[in-house]
This record gives sequence, C-alpha cells and structure tokens, in this order.
Amino acid sequence: MLELNAISSGYGETQVLYGLSLVAQPGRVLAILGRNGAGKSTTLKTIMGLLPLKSGDIVFDGNPIATRAFDVARSGIAYVPETRDIFPSLSVRENLEIVAKRFGGPRPDWTMDRVLELFPRLGERLDNGGTQLSGGEQQMLAIARALLMNPRLLILDEPTEGLAPIIVKLIHDKLQELKRDGLSMIIVEQNFGFATALADDVAVVGKGQVVWTGSAAEIRADEDAQHTWLGV
Amino acid sequence: MFRHNALRYAVLVVLLAAALFQAFTAEYFGLEILTEILILAILVLALDIVAGFGGMVSLCHGALMGVGAYAYALLSAKAGIAPPLAMAGAVALTGVTAWAIGAICSRSHGIYFIMATLAFGQMAYSYVFEALVFGGDDGLGGIARLDLGLFGIDLNDSRSFALFCLAALGAVYGAAVLILRSGLGRSLSGVMHNEQRMRALGLTVWRVKADVFGLSGMIAGLAGALAAQHIMYISPGLLSWTVSGEALVVVILGGLGTLVGPLVGAAAFVVLKHELSGLTSYWHLVVGVILIAVVMSRANGIFGWIEARWGDRIERRVADATRKPEPEEATSDA
Repeated sequence: MLELNAISSGYGETQVLYGLSLVAQPGRVLAILGRNGAGKSTTLKTIMGLLPLKSGDIVFDGNPIATRAFDVARSGIAYVPETRDIFPSLSVRENLEIVAKRFGGPRPDWTMDRVLELFPRLGERLDNGGTQLSGGEQQMLAIARALLMNPRLLILDEPTEGLAPIIVKLIHDKLQELKRDGLSMIIVEQNFGFATALADDVAVVGKGQVVWTGSAAEIRADEDAQHTWLGV
Repeated sequence: MFRHNALRYAVLVVLLAAALFQAFTAEYFGLEILTEILILAILVLALDIVAGFGGMVSLCHGALMGVGAYAYALLSAKAGIAPPLAMAGAVALTGVTAWAIGAICSRSHGIYFIMATLAFGQMAYSYVFEALVFGGDDGLGGIARLDLGLFGIDLNDSRSFALFCLAALGAVYGAAVLILRSGLGRSLSGVMHNEQRMRALGLTVWRVKADVFGLSGMIAGLAGALAAQHIMYISPGLLSWTVSGEALVVVILGGLGTLVGPLVGAAAFVVLKHELSGLTSYWHLVVGVILIAVVMSRANGIFGWIEARWGDRIERRVADATRKPEPEEATSDA
C-alpha cells in the first residue's frame, strides 16, 4: 500500500532520515517505534508532504506520492499530528464540518453521524469551542476529523501522548474497531504496550534508518531488540 | 470564527442610534463628517476581514478603494454607463483585481505579504498618477451620484446621501458576518491558526486566501465608488499607501478581528481628526500617541478595552435575564 524506498529528509540544513525504507501493507496496522529523536515523526511528516523529500521515493498504491500536502491528503491519506491541531476559534461541529464538506462526496464511508457514533462524547460537545476540550476530547476530535477525509490510510503520531490511562484505553478500543473494519494504519507511538497490542507489523527506527522489522508478536518476544533500540 | 455577543449587539445599537441621530439632526458639515465616517467604516470592515480574520495585513486596500473609485468615475462619466451599473461594475472589477493580488501574495507571509501588497498598491498609484486616461495628477471631476429619483430620494442632498451610505454600511456588515460564518470563513479561520494543518486536511490554502481577498476587495471597491460620489472628484492620492496605512491604524485603534471594533475606530478616528486639526496642524502626532497607548495597553483596541472591562458583566446580566425561571417545587401536602 505504502512503500518508502531509501528516503532522506530533515528540517532545513539538518538531515534526520538517512535512506529509510519501510512498507505498510493494506488492511494492516504498522507501528513505527524508536527512541526520541530517531526520526519517527519526521518520517510521517515526509510522507504527508510537510517536509521536503531530499532523496529516495515514496509510492502509495503503486503511484509516486504527491509532493504537496493537500495533494497527499486528497490521494487518500489522513494524518493525525502529535499536536492534534484543533482550530481553537471553531466549535467541535465546525472543526468537523470544515473537512466533512470538502471530502463528503455522494456516498462517503465516513459521515458526521458515523464519527459521532464512534465518539459519542463529541456529540455532547458539538457547540463547545476547540479550547474548551480536554486532551482526550481533542484527540477524539482529531481522529474524527481525519476519518471524515474518508482515508484509505490513517496515520497517527503519538495518539496517546499526555492522556489519562482510561482515555488511552478508549482510544485503543476505537482504533481496534477501525482495524477490524479493515482500515490501514500507520502509528508512531512511545507507549510500547499500546503500539504492539494494536499493530500487526513493527518497524523500529534508529538514527534515521529502519534498524529492525518484524511482527508485533516478534518484538514482544525479542527482549534484546527492545533493550537495544527502544530502551524498554 | 466570528460570533456576536451581547456587548457587540449593544455597541452596534449605540453606533446605529448615534449615526441616525447625526443623520437627522446635523447640518451640512456634520453630515459630511458622518458620510466620511461611514465610507471609512466600509473600507476598514474590508480590511478587518483579511487582516483580523485571515492574518493577511494588507497595505493595498487604499489602492483597491481607488480602483473602485476610478472604475466608477470612468464607467459612469467617460463611458456613459448608468450609475447603478457603473457601481456594480466598479465593485466587480475591484473584486477581480483583489482576487488576483490575493492569489499572488497568498504564498508569502508576515512582513513579505505586507511588502507585496504595498508594492501592488504603489504600482497602481504610480500608474494612475501618470496615465492621462485617469486625469494624471489632476484627477477626475464631474462624477455623478446615483439617481434614486424613482424612489423619491435625491442623493445630491447630503442627508439622503449620508443615509444611503449608512444603509450600504449595514449591508456590508451583514455580508461580512455571512462571509465569516460560511464554510469559506471557517476555512479562513483554520488557515490563520494553522496553515500547514489545513493543507494536510486537503485544503487549497492559496485559493481560500484569494477568495477572501477578492470579497474584501469588492467591499473596498464599494467604499471607493461611494467616496467618488461623495466628493464628486477623485485624485491619485486616494490610492496612496498612506490611505492603506490610515485604514490599518483605524482597524488597530478600534479592535482587530472584531468587525465591531473597526466601526468604533472609524468614528473615533474621523472625529479626532476633525476636532484636533482645528486645534493644531500636528494632529497626526496626537493620533500617533493615542495609537501607541492603545497598542501598549495590550487591549485589542478601543473595543477590546471595552470588552475586557464590561464584556463578562454584560454577558452575565443577559444570561440572568434570559434564564428561564426554575419551576417552583411542588408543595407536597402528602
């Protein structure tokens, strides 16, 4: 579904990724793990066209991926950033509508009703402003907004960061539900337990390259890899 | 996104009452000042839409107003087109011009956006200043006002023209609210807060900016067409960057991104200008000191200052007054 072939990228003069390669299979969840500064978020931003690709290539569904962020979004990839980026001056309803009206189409998979069914809490807060939401509610809104883009691939950056354990469990259950529905996902996560419980496949990133790949079950069993690359 | 609250409604009612009182009681000079305020208010509403709600600080809105004024003058006086059609044409032409400027400048940000709009404004000023078709330095005269004789209204009468401008301002305010509450307005709000995020949500950012800039330009063009009819004479000075700068001062003085604030700012600025210029020719210095005080006070202009002091109190009173009384507990006699 998505192939990254020897990509290099970074911020301005600072290179972060050095020939990173990985593959995300359709209908499966790929977790990208690694220590802080390894290049996980940089990988996602490069896929999304938010950072320039310096070398290598990215292929999505057999075609080279677009280089501009809005073209990438329109090609069927939705991205939930670490910062969630809820628009503070818009209400929950308006935050959702801003996307729903753009990606609605004649018979969309995801509608306002369906995302509110997935996250009933948002239905109770529809008229609240973006700044009046808790961290968990903001994360639900960010995921709901991404789903309204009717993506074929959902990319999430640190979806549990700063959330209470009960909300982490709720987010986990919702993402499991999406996985059961067959939605392909890539998830970057520091929470090893959360990531490996959700993912089918795992790629570990270290110093801007993929240093380990395998299944979630394999990394759970490989204590050496956990210790060497993740410090678990 | 723009929302009305009790204080905003209250200030609008006070402003409307003051304008109507002035329109029906003032003599010629007072009516001229009122009309000047109303036309400036239309221009600064246009600027507030792009600067206050889209983060696009424009230094070419004076030039856009000038485009509207010259287009109206040329279409009505030179081309002989009926004034209502000339006015519609002037508004449309200014909108198209503004859309093109917005589309080009939308790829720049901050100081670069300001400089790009300034460059467009100065190009328009220089061209109009030199071109004979626009009357060069001498400008154009003999500009007719709309003929509303069909409705029994003579716009050559200062009072009627002031009321006509008031009606135009009301329509523009309503249009501005509709724009900001529409899908385009929501997208603009998103773009202002996080442009990169909006791109990642599949939005064509430059198009949103250009569309809003075009609509704002149409409003500035309307201000220009009214200004041309007000003075019945126009000169290149109307397109000067100082007009754009003055409009920006008025928006900041009143309250950026509030719609209501710029109306307060326009009234305060014109009244201050007329009162102070009678006392000293250095009235700009006094306005400058007031502007510095407003900026240093950290309030969002005069309206922001009012909102910070009385906004919550008025909201609470309105909430108390509109709250439904609790049903009295049933007295049980069981």
